[in-house]
Amino acid sequence: MIRLWFDKGTILLRGEVGTPYGKWDPRVECYRIKAMYYWDVLAYLRESKLAFQDDVPNLPPVEQLNSTVELRPYQKEALDRWRHANMRGTLVLPTAAGKTYVALKAISLLKTQTFIVVPTLDLIDQWRTRITEHLNTQAGAIGGGEITVKMITVSTYDSAYLRAETLGNKFMLVVFDEVHHLASPSYMQIAEMYIAPYRMGLTATYERSDERHSLLPRLVGDPVYTVGVEELAGEHLSPYTYEKMLVELTPEEQRAYEDEMAVFRLYLKEKGIILKSAEDFQRFIMATGRDHRAREALLSRNRALKIALNSAAKLGLLAQQLETNRNEKALIFTLHNDLVYTISRRFLIPAITYQTPKEERREILGNFRKGEYKAIVTSQVLDEGVDVPDASAGYILSGTGSTREYIQRLGRILRKVEGKRAKLVEIVSKETVEVGISRRRRHKKNTEE
Amino acid sequence: MLPSELLAVWKRKGNIWPRYARANGDSLDVANSLIKAYKNHVGEKKSVLKAFAGQLEDEGYEYRFVRGLAHLLDRKSTFKCNDKINPVELRQRIFQATGKLGLATNEERRKRIVETVASEMNVTPQTVDEFLYADLESELVLEEFDPPTPDELLKEYNLSLTQTLLFDSTELRFTASGNWQRIFYAVKRLGLIYEVYKDGKFWVKIDGPASLFKLTRRYGTATAKLLPTIIANPEWTVEAKILWRYTNEICSFKLESWKHRTILKSPQQPTVSYDSVVEQDFAEQFQGLRTGWQLKREPEPVPAGKQVIIPDFSLEKEGIKVYIEIVGFWTLEYLLRKIDKLKKVSANMLVAVNENLACEKLADLEKTAPINIIYYHDKIPLAPVLRYLEKAFQGVQLTQKDFLKNLPVIFTEAVVNYEEFAARIGVSTDAVKAALAENPPGGYTVMPNGLVRKDKLEQIRKRIEEQLGPTGRLHLSDAIRIIETEGVSDVTKSLETFGYKIIWHGINPEKAEVTKP
Repeated sequence: MIRLWFDKGTILLRGEVGTPYGKWDPRVECYRIKAMYYWDVLAYLRESKLAFQDDVPNLPPVEQLNSTVELRPYQKEALDRWRHANMRGTLVLPTAAGKTYVALKAISLLKTQTFIVVPTLDLIDQWRTRITEHLNTQAGAIGGGEITVKMITVSTYDSAYLRAETLGNKFMLVVFDEVHHLASPSYMQIAEMYIAPYRMGLTATYERSDERHSLLPRLVGDPVYTVGVEELAGEHLSPYTYEKMLVELTPEEQRAYEDEMAVFRLYLKEKGIILKSAEDFQRFIMATGRDHRAREALLSRNRALKIALNSAAKLGLLAQQLETNRNEKALIFTLHNDLVYTISRRFLIPAITYQTPKEERREILGNFRKGEYKAIVTSQVLDEGVDVPDASAGYILSGTGSTREYIQRLGRILRKVEGKRAKLVEIVSKETVEVGISRRRRHKKNTEE
Repeated sequence: MLPSELLAVWKRKGNIWPRYARANGDSLDVANSLIKAYKNHVGEKKSVLKAFAGQLEDEGYEYRFVRGLAHLLDRKSTFKCNDKINPVELRQRIFQATGKLGLATNEERRKRIVETVASEMNVTPQTVDEFLYADLESELVLEEFDPPTPDELLKEYNLSLTQTLLFDSTELRFTASGNWQRIFYAVKRLGLIYEVYKDGKFWVKIDGPASLFKLTRRYGTATAKLLPTIIANPEWTVEAKILWRYTNEICSFKLESWKHRTILKSPQQPTVSYDSVVEQDFAEQFQGLRTGWQLKREPEPVPAGKQVIIPDFSLEKEGIKVYIEIVGFWTLEYLLRKIDKLKKVSANMLVAVNENLACEKLADLEKTAPINIIYYHDKIPLAPVLRYLEKAFQGVQLTQKDFLKNLPVIFTEAVVNYEEFAARIGVSTDAVKAALAENPPGGYTVMPNGLVRKDKLEQIRKRIEEQLGPTGRLHLSDAIRIIETEGVSDVTKSLETFGYKIIWHGINPEKAEVTKP
């Protein structure tokens, strides 16, 4: 008889029959099939009225769920669209629009083994808390040293990728939070190596500058529902204001900045290099691996940029802002960790970077939510997820030119609380390359990974 | 292994090589000064070491090389957080104080917060400032350092560089001179799939399940982890396809023991140890018998279809090889799978199965198995093994005889020694003897130890005749010397052929003579 079983992120089929999805693997003398086609193979075998033994799924026990999730009208519509698309597809909703709740509702309706894939460890914590609150069950977790598989299990993308060989046959529904990550060459294997027939993608920023989002329909399903910030601002999201504040470099900084930039420009001029597009720049970076002088030039440019991004003048302005808005809960964003710690030391504000111990992160976020801490300074680690509903002020001291980063940082302060008016302030060094970076992130479609 | 951004390579015409460091010139200088710096900075902060490495970069040494060495030295170091005060606790107190007193947006408020916490914790305000982030990586203190020699460091660097390159490999193939059991064990443990084939040597190709569908670097890390086990052998060749991450081109990479062994750190070749008492007993007892069969532990793998079996022993005699596989713990299902595999083996293989541990009925098995199984309790019985060896030997001899009959060989040498000839074509001496006796090539005389060309015999006959004394006799020792000088070892048979007889004068061969009756 035909037998199917799960083998390290793929399915093996033994028996004198091929399928439209499999490929003969001479190494093991069986047909091998991508795990994502598992259900297609089942359908094919059933249609062909072939007897077979199926040893593929290895599902954890189903637990009782008590859902308390109530959806807003647009969330309900998003869920309906997804269900009509055979429970596959991506929902594009702005940050703070409550994507999590749509997924929780879907889980409570399907009542099936669910794997939730998220970009960061903080988000694992956050999802688990929500699951306990709204579904009344404890979720398992994969990542950050923990491996517990439960009916509902939350994992980082990294762990989901690395452990696909052992986890791929344990779930029926996979929710990809921040699904744009899934399109990267390695993470897309998560979609391919898991058997789950039901798939939900969630994101506020579907498109990628490398166009790889065109792979997502095959991996998760089509984008089935899209709604933008503008449509929800006011009613479902906090109204917000944006302000850009320019500061002047100190005279020493200005001198150092000019000197470094001169080195960089001279090199470009000598070599006749014109850097216009991201591709030009990539080519230049590659040259620095071979050419010592190219590397010197790049280092000079980076030092100049660092001077602009980390200018002392910014901290003076930040001090004024924090003092003036001292009753607002604030998130301060930077590009480099050095600046995070400079700000943390100077203003005695808790910092969160990749180096912050897990326990301390929990403690800081917990106290921030409770209002014991009034501000957090962070580099990029809090860009995605992690909600603090009443955070109302965001200060961007430095960042990349990515629109995605900007949208995500903005999203951190937009969660709707009655009477809240959010405020995003960008502090930029005048007459430096930073002005261009700031313009890029707000105006161009430029969602680099 | 190194962070991938520190990988330095050369790339040309579809080939790729890591930029290996040689133990001379600049490379040696950098290794030396970094090791010294770590030695001299025990008790200081990690940031000091980073600054030192930064200086070397500023002096123009290749930055990936400098950082790569520093990365390896970090792993030989113990960094510790200064334990005078717990920074996490300190921060919590500071941030809580800030929560109450307000953000430190001016000097005065900052001072008040720091002083409040300092007095709570009974330390000075300076200590608070100093230790606030004492647990950050750059603030950790080098407590202990286990210094390598510069040469060791460079070899380790070269190995790490190779492994880092293999992160991007999509497949790898290798040959090796031994260590097979460990290699295949590692392949399995790392979730890789192998294929074996003969291409001159015994090659193993390695990739993973999903490699069937597309080129993927997914198994690169596992492949890199396999490398040390392969190169723990005296001889090896490793070839890999690298999907170069920056350009997405496929490059070839080749590593050869004769060329690279001396620049790569190689793990010690593990000594052969027995998996069980049963194996050890068998080996000792068998060797005690002096059967003429050479026993070898962990022989080269035996292809079984696309897979391999790594037998526990090989026994070899006159070019005939028999393998023995000892199955200790088993289930029927396991054994059936094994038998499936064994059916594909064309070599002689004897499987010894532990009857004590039999969890299922064996009776059925014997019917289904066209393979050679013997059962044992505590020890492997030698008699059935010897019987099997004898049978295999004869069986192989028979087929060899057939083979020799049709062997299109034209002899030209004056003397053909059976043993030498058998060894040369890889069959047993007895088979050669039997085949040639039955079917002697024209122009040759069949002797017990070899063939001798007839004109050669004639030549020897004449020389002996010339040496005969007036009595028509010759000392046997002189006759032997003449015959052996011509390369013929069959003295008695030769003399007999010429019609001579040996006349003994007592038992002393020195006094014996030959004569024609």
